[in-house]
Amino acid sequence: MTLCRWLTIVLLLFPGLGLILGLIGTVVWIAIAQSFGLYGLNGEDQFTLQYWAEVTDRRVFARSVRYSFYVGTVSAILSVALAYPLAIWLRKPFTGSMTISAILKAPMLVHGLVAAFLFINVIAYHGILNQAMQALGLWDEPRRMQNDSNAVGVLILQIWKNMPFALLLLTGAVQGISDDVLDAARDLGAGAWDRFRKVIAPLSISAMQAAMVIIFIGAMADFSFQVIAGPTNRQSMSQLMVFFKDRGDWHSAAVVGVTLMGLALLGAYALAFLARLVMEGRSR
Amino acid sequence: MTAIRIQGLTKMFDGFTALSDIDLDVAPGEFVTLLGPSGCGKTTLLKVISGFLEPTKGKIFIEGSDVTAIPPERRDTALCFQSYALFPHLTVRQNLEFGLRQKKISRPHRDERVNDVSQKLDLAAQMDKLPNQLSGGQQQRVSLGRALVMRPKVILFDEPLSNLDAKLRDQVRIEIRRIQRDYGLTAIYVTHDQSEALAMSDRVVLLNGGRIEQVDTPETLYHRPRTRFAADFIGNSNVFTGQVLGEDSPGRWKIETPAGIFTCAFNGTPQSKEVALCWRPEHAVIGETGIEARVLNRAFQGHFTDLACAAGNGEFRVQALETTARDGDVIRVHVPPDRIRLLEDRP
Repeated sequence: MTLCRWLTIVLLLFPGLGLILGLIGTVVWIAIAQSFGLYGLNGEDQFTLQYWAEVTDRRVFARSVRYSFYVGTVSAILSVALAYPLAIWLRKPFTGSMTISAILKAPMLVHGLVAAFLFINVIAYHGILNQAMQALGLWDEPRRMQNDSNAVGVLILQIWKNMPFALLLLTGAVQGISDDVLDAARDLGAGAWDRFRKVIAPLSISAMQAAMVIIFIGAMADFSFQVIAGPTNRQSMSQLMVFFKDRGDWHSAAVVGVTLMGLALLGAYALAFLARLVMEGRSR
Repeated sequence: MTAIRIQGLTKMFDGFTALSDIDLDVAPGEFVTLLGPSGCGKTTLLKVISGFLEPTKGKIFIEGSDVTAIPPERRDTALCFQSYALFPHLTVRQNLEFGLRQKKISRPHRDERVNDVSQKLDLAAQMDKLPNQLSGGQQQRVSLGRALVMRPKVILFDEPLSNLDAKLRDQVRIEIRRIQRDYGLTAIYVTHDQSEALAMSDRVVLLNGGRIEQVDTPETLYHRPRTRFAADFIGNSNVFTGQVLGEDSPGRWKIETPAGIFTCAFNGTPQSKEVALCWRPEHAVIGETGIEARVLNRAFQGHFTDLACAAGNGEFRVQALETTARDGDVIRVHVPPDRIRLLEDRP
């Protein structure tokens, strides 16, 4: 390849790669450096492993890692699992399918904080849900559902917010599968479930991986849903990071931040790899 | 016992009748082609037989069992798609094995069937390739193989050659027929290509507007079309409306048409005085006797010459193996009486 051609390629990639390397790369570098005691905002600037040792030694850190991983994984899997049947249902246009599709995607337009407040209002002790259940005679007294310890509220919010995104990606992929291919599978004896696991899922795996990775990263690093609707006895990694930052301990906050980035990357890769492994195994 | 019996089958879509009162019996090992123009209902009929469409009325029997309500995945038929419909994420071997795995065929039997079919279809060297690494002809063979390994009671083809080039089409056409005979399969083949239908079939079902126009062997369909549509659709035909003048000699009827008077061999009496008749352009003989006609256009076609002629108030075509007639020449055209066919439909 000639030098001129190399230059053309570099120039073409620059607007995208330049932004990633320049801006995101700088932030990542600063976070990593701060976690090792460098770039101190209080003036101290010395390489040390002290912050890593201190933060990783705390029980709250291990708990927040487990909790964030749980929220990220469950949200990603359930969002995709719910989006798949809807994507298959909406694969072929029918009367009203456009409206249904638009309604299903509406949560994407609602900001997370607004959604969280709405949700709290619905499930609050004196909220609409409790009132409705009592009015219907199903519950004798109001139940406490807000900030539940198993983070069910956070998961509902994550799925509500992320499922439309998964649906968007999966609908495109599922619509790309020709009718003839699905009919051929049916003709060869594959029922609805076999057609899904042996044809639809393997042929839409790239969209599924993309949806899972993006949802996982977003849900794992979630702050707003957790602060408003999350359990009070656990902290997510983002919460822990803000906790350190609020105390002026930027180096410890950076340790949590770097761990979050690393785990998000690893987790996303693991989920994508696992999905491919499972689907490739099932398609045979 | 018949392999397939279709009884009084009707299929409607939102008030539109795609198939109307179809009755058809197919014998075991028979190769039957559904032929007709676009929109005549041939693919709809194939989809009803394969189970992808439910008939509005009527029944379908396969080897005596009523399969009308049985879904395609549980019906003992195998369909070869026009688009091949191979699974793009699976290798050739996995494509061939797909149906056998669904039917939980044991591995040794699976391997035996797949190897047998792959050798017959010359696919042994392609087994580990993905469909997108194969040529059109190879993909078609995989599609055919995928159906054959199932050893179905009935194999169905939905215009399987339409995506192939002319040379490959001839080759695959012969292969399909050979394999169908080798395996003794009952086959239903859909095409709009009359030459394909005539070359491959034991019998041809000619469909028009959702109805069966004629069911016959290719030879009968060509030489004895029963209706104006059949005469027009299969090969080239000169169709005229005429008045019966009377019986010239026993079994020979004189009919006056706008192009002149023709003598037609017909046992019995024509149903009405006004009739429709047809003859093939290649059956006309240019010579000293017959109707006087002027050549309007001469078109050399290689193994014959096509002459567009005018006689009286009518026009017709003549195909001659050898002729010196040029545009504007006056020639005499004779059509042997036994080559003229009286059509059943009213003019």
